[in-house]
Amino acid sequence: MEVTRSLKRRSPWLARGVNSLAGAAMFVAPLLALVAIWAVVVPLFDINPRVFPSVGAVGTAAMDSIRDGTLLAHVGASLLRVGLGTLIGVVTAVPLGIAMGVSPTVAAFLTPLFRFFSVLAGIAWIPIATLWFGYGFGAIVFVIFNAVFFVVAYNTLLGVKTIPHTLRNAASSLGAGRWALLTEVLLPGALPNIVTGVRTGLGFAWRGLIAAEMIATNVGLGYMLFVARDFYRTEVIVFGMIVIGVLWLLIDRLLLVPLERATIERWGMGRRA
Amino acid sequence: MKTLSLKNLAKTYFDPYAGSHVNAVHDVSIDVEQGEFVSVVGPSGCGKTTILNMIAGFIPYTGGEILLDGKPVKGPGPERGVVFQSFALFPWKTVLDNVGFGPKMRGVPKAERDRIAREYLALAGLSHAAHRYPNELSGGMQQRVGVVRALANNPDVLLMDEPFASVDAQTRMTLQEELTRIWQERKPTVLFITHDVPEAVFLANRVVVLSKGRVLDQIEIDLPRPRVWDDLVKDDKFKQLSARVLQMVRAA
Repeated sequence: MEVTRSLKRRSPWLARGVNSLAGAAMFVAPLLALVAIWAVVVPLFDINPRVFPSVGAVGTAAMDSIRDGTLLAHVGASLLRVGLGTLIGVVTAVPLGIAMGVSPTVAAFLTPLFRFFSVLAGIAWIPIATLWFGYGFGAIVFVIFNAVFFVVAYNTLLGVKTIPHTLRNAASSLGAGRWALLTEVLLPGALPNIVTGVRTGLGFAWRGLIAAEMIATNVGLGYMLFVARDFYRTEVIVFGMIVIGVLWLLIDRLLLVPLERATIERWGMGRRA
Repeated sequence: MKTLSLKNLAKTYFDPYAGSHVNAVHDVSIDVEQGEFVSVVGPSGCGKTTILNMIAGFIPYTGGEILLDGKPVKGPGPERGVVFQSFALFPWKTVLDNVGFGPKMRGVPKAERDRIAREYLALAGLSHAAHRYPNELSGGMQQRVGVVRALANNPDVLLMDEPFASVDAQTRMTLQEELTRIWQERKPTVLFITHDVPEAVFLANRVVVLSKGRVLDQIEIDLPRPRVWDDLVKDDKFKQLSARVLQMVRAA
């Protein structure tokens, strides 16, 4: 702490680098501890590789899948599905959420439906999605879309409702029309909740994705786990699980958290959901 | 020419708890001349904020009329600028963009509205804060932004709803002095709502005393300007006028 404080005076940029390095180290340390325990326990009890793999075997599986390009194919397929499903979900949910937030009648009418579908969102849609879209890309994107859409729409609605009414009055007394009210007040005012909604929705989507890929496709991280099971390849399964967890942490830390910082914290609005 | 004219203004609304109609405002007639500073003072519940909200167009009125340059007022509009007690600055906009918001709504290009905003920020001694966000400012500074944001839109009349009620006493006196200085420089037409009697007298050309939704009396304040607190607290005429208004408000 003393080091970073004196650094902050001389070189704020370097101090921030040291700080985030220290933060990353704090974050990684318990994970490394877990790997260390794993490396000791598996040989110590001579655990059957069909039950749980050694660290070395997982490392080899990782190297193999990187070298032959299968990892890239699976990760690419999964990320494309999540990205597209999330994009469609956000683009449709935000306008609807704002419409609901502006009109109490629409909000009152749609809220029970949204509660219902929020509970249902996710893998419950897989059977019917595969009937509609067939096995593969369409069905999985639809499941992702579902997970994102309802959460984001509901959070947008909450966001619009929490905008103080005096802000709308201020805007219209400064000459804002309906469109300006939407783009200058309602959208930025609801943004903290929209970002929270996207973060939550993407979390649901990521879980739903893995489940859907086990059932409804022949490429992707979920598929990678599921197929490995048929061949008792526990080292591939564990490697896949690690990739799924690490990818999510990267998306959250490198994409969503900075997005929150760049806007909401700077405006001093906090997370209100 | 009369700029703002309230004629027999009335507001009745249905109170669902009492189960009956309540007259918040009845038969209020006030004229505000162009370039005049009028304070409306009265105890809470006298209907003063309701009147301001009706003039601003935030709520409809149920009787009488509100005329601006002879034309009836309907809904909110940029010719009636509002300064809010809660400041109501846009947290996601910098100070510069907050002040430039009105010109932006009129379609003024970015460079020109920045120039306008900077001019008004300088008027309030806020040039250094142009690129800060409202949450980084003190309450007093936020309300300075609120005042110049309304002024930068060049309204026909400036409506101020207890604008200094939520800042500390020292800051409030500074803000009052700054407001009289800005008023003298620009001569905007101002309707100023407050429950603070010395504030009403200090700022205004005329004080309207309101009670239970009616105008009780109107008192001309012919104190010389520029007005500063250090002088006025010792001024006999200021004391007399304040005492007279205070008596009316307390009897109301």
